[in-house]
Amino acid sequence: MSVVVRRTIPQIIVALVIVLMVVFYFFYINADVSKGFTTADKALSDWAIVITAIAAIVGGIDILRYHVNQIRKREKRQIVFSCVVIVMEIVMVLLACYALYSGIAITTQPNFQWLYTYLYAPADAAMYSILVFYIASASYRTFRARNPPAVLLLIVAIIVMLGNTSLGAMIWEGFLPLRDWIYNVPNTAAFRPITMGIGFGLIILGLRLIIGKETTWMGRRE
Amino acid sequence: MSGKLKALIAFAIFIVLLIVVAVSYYQNLGIISSGRNVAFVLLLILFLAGYSFIGTAKEGKTIPVRKIAAFDAIEEGIARSVELGKPVHFTLGYGPISTVNAPQYLAGLGVLGHVARLCAKYGAPLISTLGVPELIAAEEEIIRDAYYSGGKPELYNVTYNVRYLTDQQFAYASAVQATLHRENVGANIVVGPFWAESLIFMEAGAAIDAFQVAGTARETQIPFFVLAADYAFIGEEIFAAGAMASGDIETLASIRGQDFGKLISWILIVVGLILLPVGIKLAEYLVK
Repeated sequence: MSVVVRRTIPQIIVALVIVLMVVFYFFYINADVSKGFTTADKALSDWAIVITAIAAIVGGIDILRYHVNQIRKREKRQIVFSCVVIVMEIVMVLLACYALYSGIAITTQPNFQWLYTYLYAPADAAMYSILVFYIASASYRTFRARNPPAVLLLIVAIIVMLGNTSLGAMIWEGFLPLRDWIYNVPNTAAFRPITMGIGFGLIILGLRLIIGKETTWMGRRE
Repeated sequence: MSGKLKALIAFAIFIVLLIVVAVSYYQNLGIISSGRNVAFVLLLILFLAGYSFIGTAKEGKTIPVRKIAAFDAIEEGIARSVELGKPVHFTLGYGPISTVNAPQYLAGLGVLGHVARLCAKYGAPLISTLGVPELIAAEEEIIRDAYYSGGKPELYNVTYNVRYLTDQQFAYASAVQATLHRENVGANIVVGPFWAESLIFMEAGAAIDAFQVAGTARETQIPFFVLAADYAFIGEEIFAAGAMASGDIETLASIRGQDFGKLISWILIVVGLILLPVGIKLAEYLVK
C-alpha cells in the first residue's frame, strides 16, 4: 500500500475533521448557517456510529480467531474458557439472527433476553462488586505512614472515611463538615489545574494532528 | 514551502481570525457563538504558540522539555520483564472511539508504539489487550511495524500480540485480569481512558508483582493510578507521552505549548484574584 494511502489520506481526514469540529463549535454566523453546522455535525456522528457498528463485527471475528487458535494449540489453561466464549458468541449471534428473521428487536427476543438478564448481567454485577475488595487491598497497601506525605494522606483518608459513615458522626459531629471542606476546597483546588492541563494537552494534540506532526498512532513504517 | 513562509501564513491566519472575533464582538455580528469569544481567542493563541515552538525547534534551537518519570520508567519495566522471562502487557481501554475519549485512545496508541519498539529492542513478547474494535487494525500495524523495524519479526504473532476482548466494561476488566494472571506478565502498562476497571487492573498487576506504569486523563481515575501504580502519567502527560514517543524534536517542542497554556491560566487566575476585591469578576468577562 502506498504511503499516500497509508499515511497522507488518514492524516488529511483527521485534520479536516478537527478543523470542522472547531468551526461547528465556535462559529455561528447566522441561524441558517448554524442549522447547517448542526446537520453536518449530526452527519459526522452518524458516520461514526456506522463505523463502530462495522468495527463490532471485526471485533467479533477477532475474538473467534483468537479462541479458535487457542483450541487448536490445545492451551490447557485456556481451552475451556475458549470453548465457552465460542459457544456463547455463536448462540448470541444465532439468536440475534432469529430475532431479525422473526421481525422483532434483537434485545426483545426472549432467549436472547434471558441469557442477557440471567447470565451476563449477574456476572457483570459480580465483577463490579469485586471492586470493593480491591479498594480495601489498595487502601491497605497505600495508607501506610512511611513518610510525611503518606502520613498526611492517611489522616485525610481517615477523616473522609469517618465523614462518610454514621460512626464518624457518633464520635464527633464535625467530621461531616470537615469532609465536605476537604472535598470542596483542597480537593477541588488540586483537581482544577489537572483539568486545565488536560485541556491544554488536548489542544496541542489537536494542533499536532492538524499539521500532521502526530503520526505515532499510525505506526512508523514508510 | 519554506518554514518562514509557513510561519508567516500561520501568523496571518491568526491575525485575520483575531480581527473576525473582535469585529464580531464589538459590532454584535454574532459570527462567533455566544459566550465562546474568549475561548476561541485562547485556542488561537495556544495553536500559534505550539506552532511557533515547533518552528523554533525546526530552526535547530533547543527547546527544553521537562522529563516525565513514567515515560522513562517504561523501559525499566520492559527490561525487568526480559530479565524475569515474562511477557509485557499493554492495554488502552474499551468502548467506541467516537466519544470525547478519542484523544486518549490516540495518546495510548502513541505509548503503545513506544512500548512495542522497546519490546522489539529487548526481544520481549508483548500482549496488547483492547476493548476498542475500531483500533484492532491500528494496533496490529503498530506492533508489526515495531517488531519488523526492530529486527525481531519472529516475535510478531498477531493472535498473540493483539487481543480484542470486548467493548463491555466488566467483561473487559475480567478478561484483562485473567490475561495478567494466566500470562504472568512482568510489566503492566495501562494508558488510555479508564473508569472503575482502573483499580481492578492495578490490583491484579500488584497480585502478580508486575511492574506497573499507568496513565489516564480521566480525573476521577488519576488518584487510583497515582496510588497503585509504580509510575503514573498524570492527566495531560499522556498526550505529552505521544510526542515523546515520536522521538521527533519538533513534535516534542510542541509540549511547550501546553506549558504556555498553563502560564496563561496562571496569569488569568492572578489577575482575577487582584480584580475581585474591586468588584470585577473576570470569569464573567471570559464567557462573553
